[in-house]
Amino acid sequence: MQKHDELENKKGMSRRRFLSVMAGAGIVGAAATMSGCSPVSDPSGTGWLPNQYRNASDLPAQVKGRVPLDPDNISLIRNDEKCILCGQCLEACEKVQSIFGYYELPVHDEFICVHCGQCSLWCPTGAIKERSEIEKVQAAINNPDVTVVVHTAPATRVGFGEEFGQEAGAWAEGQQVDALRKLGFDYVLDTNWSADLTIMEEGSELVHRITSGGVLPQFTSCCPGWVKFVEYYYPDLIPNLSSAKSPTMMHGPTIKTYMAQKLMDQGVIDNPTQIYNVAIMPCVAKKFEIAREEFTDAAAYWQEQGKDWATLESMRDMDAVLSVRELADMVRGAGIKYEDLDPNAQYDPIEGIGSTAGLIFGNTGGVMEAAVRSAYYLITGQQPPEALYTLTPVRGLEGIKKATLNIPGVGDVTVAVASGLANARKLCEQVRAGKADFQFMEIMSCPGGCIAGGGQPRTTVPPQDWVRQARIDTIYNKDKVGVINAASDEQGKTMKLALSHMNPEITAIYDEFLGAPLSDLAHHLCHTEYYSRADALDPKN
Amino acid sequence: MAIKGVLVDITKCVGCGSCTVACKMWNNQNYVNPETKETENAHGFEAELDSNTWTTVQYVKAQKDGKEVLRYVKRQCMHCQDPSCSSVCFAHAFHQTEEGAVQYDPELCVGCRYCMIACPFDIPKYEWEKAFPSVMKCQFCSSKLAQGEAPACASVCPTNALVFGDRDALLAKAHEIIAAEPDKYVQHVYGENEVGGTNWLYISDVPFGDLGFPTNLPQTSVPSNVHKFTRFTPAIFIGGAALWSGVYLYSSRRHKVAEHEGKHEEEKHEE
Ligand code: SF4
Ligand code: SF4
Ligand code: SF4
Ligand code: SF4
Repeated sequence: MQKHDELENKKGMSRRRFLSVMAGAGIVGAAATMSGCSPVSDPSGTGWLPNQYRNASDLPAQVKGRVPLDPDNISLIRNDEKCILCGQCLEACEKVQSIFGYYELPVHDEFICVHCGQCSLWCPTGAIKERSEIEKVQAAINNPDVTVVVHTAPATRVGFGEEFGQEAGAWAEGQQVDALRKLGFDYVLDTNWSADLTIMEEGSELVHRITSGGVLPQFTSCCPGWVKFVEYYYPDLIPNLSSAKSPTMMHGPTIKTYMAQKLMDQGVIDNPTQIYNVAIMPCVAKKFEIAREEFTDAAAYWQEQGKDWATLESMRDMDAVLSVRELADMVRGAGIKYEDLDPNAQYDPIEGIGSTAGLIFGNTGGVMEAAVRSAYYLITGQQPPEALYTLTPVRGLEGIKKATLNIPGVGDVTVAVASGLANARKLCEQVRAGKADFQFMEIMSCPGGCIAGGGQPRTTVPPQDWVRQARIDTIYNKDKVGVINAASDEQGKTMKLALSHMNPEITAIYDEFLGAPLSDLAHHLCHTEYYSRADALDPKN
Repeated sequence: MAIKGVLVDITKCVGCGSCTVACKMWNNQNYVNPETKETENAHGFEAELDSNTWTTVQYVKAQKDGKEVLRYVKRQCMHCQDPSCSSVCFAHAFHQTEEGAVQYDPELCVGCRYCMIACPFDIPKYEWEKAFPSVMKCQFCSSKLAQGEAPACASVCPTNALVFGDRDALLAKAHEIIAAEPDKYVQHVYGENEVGGTNWLYISDVPFGDLGFPTNLPQTSVPSNVHKFTRFTPAIFIGGAALWSGVYLYSSRRHKVAEHEGKHEEEKHEE
């Protein structure tokens, strides 16, 4: 009887009607039982399934199924209606990233995912895509009481144009800046600036570790997918991760403290809670990163200053991340034509000048190369030699790269670079086994680096090396211009610097606000901690 | 032909939902919940079977060794060896294929919903949204089975949480697996004896009751009991020849409408 009640409640059918239906059924029952008919047709399915699933049952397909994706994944969503079970997402997750298949089953109590978004780049039908934040960004833009500040990651400017039919790797920095202004963003800043800040902090940390016998090799920490990977699979190596935050997570709190003070002085805002921080990223893991609980350092800073403007809950360092694909959607949605965008549009000041050392962050090997340039300066007090401006061994699409440099006063420093987490895993195993013959290790989750990040245009599906290479080349070519200008000691607005420590807006924030790299305030706003996620899975190799 | 079955190993399921997508593809079903008209996935905490969704993967939070764990439970018709649904169906809409699929023919269904009451697993679902509804349920992809293929869901499972094969062999394998890891697995093959045995079998590391499986079922065939209940109905209504013609009219009209609707749907698909 319980089942009857359930049925009724569920379907909202009255008990009386239900009983009368049952009685009616009885009538039919009598008749049909006597008629003794039997089925004539096979009513089972006649639909379409990919060929690999039409094998004899004892010859199962090799590539099958799809990646498990939490319906609440903060970075990605999947539309089941579009999924054709091609298995490409699973290939990317398992073979490229070594996530799926690298934990024992049963699962503990969550879906295992580092939010890299490679699956969304491999998905042929676009079933997997970023979780859109367009709506909330648009609401902030529409709100006259909110000042919307946006910064654009290095790699976005070699992706944005592709969304509008430009050739792979087309340089679209100006167009992107102009588009953001036309969309109504109040301040358009450059993540190359915060990349420079990252170099100052992370480079100083490296020097400190090397000279004071700290934990080595130091790992870069600017890729949130990679950070979560370490927290999942190599919690014992967390001490190796640089405590420096990623550029975006340095930009967020410095905008809501240092820059906010300037905007308050100018009378633009009354307090930092009126700032809405958006980042344009080639990445969907950044959507996960900005939501990490610990990133409320600007609010904490103001509390320490005795201002009760915000609680840790009410003001986060970053408010939204848009992938390049989402930005392009917004541009199209607003009816803005790419041809009408100004290729020479410039970033806004205060935290808007970036060096080309910051720019090459977008390429695999780029963080390393930028860090080495400035580390050389931090150690020797002299500008780096010519050879350090073109660190060929760490450039290019090879999965794992190494180089050894001689730095006066320190001796030989060996660096290792990997992109794609399956490659990173190999280096981690070396480090864990105590067999690492290098002192600094740069990892980017996405093969080729951020230029081929999970939020970049799906110019070829799956991603192809020729596209990756075209984007990489454009970035290094711009850096070359930076190098030439740096050599002639010319300092200008954008792209004229190839050294993070020479960026005038970087020297300014240290002089006016942070003091020096690794200072207390720098630690407060630009460094962070990580935690083990060992409870989330039993790793399997 | 040997009786076929599927062995579901709950511990291996990763909740990818591929099986639910394969089911919809093979059976030409969309993702619209017939009642709410909302587009819904067939996997998740809220996932439920309906006339348009013959299998779901239900996410369940359970306790294991004092910790909260997430488990994914695939649901579909169990394909009972002695199916109650079939034994109560006077229209003979159900029949068992030689592979053991409890197949259901909507063309013969008169929409009485007896089977829905009789099914111990609450599987058959009614097309509440239609003017002349039938009951719907998983058909064990009998058209695929007939060609020697695995059912759609089992053919796509990336972790082999679903294994298709001869029921006897699967049952032996299930016992082997749980015996080999007694600390991990509940020492019970669900479906071995439940209501006299089902062709879909489950093994799990979390007690079946915690995963939403009915655990108070008789370990022998149910239909013998069901008959006790249904055998009275003919006695009451026998001699209803006039009614029978009414039923006939009802059914044939229903089929015309269904045919019309079917065409309509196909056209939509092509657009
Ligand atoms: S985002 Fe990366 S880790 Fe997550 S499912 Fe996709 S490929 Fe795997
Ligand atoms: S890549 Fe896309 S279409 Fe292919 S199985 Fe994965 S989600 Fe489905
Ligand atoms: S599970 Fe229910 S619908 Fe399926 S065969 Fe058994 S009684 Fe019939
Ligand atoms: S396809 Fe397999 S792993 Fe994926 S949800 Fe279905 S049973 Fe689980």
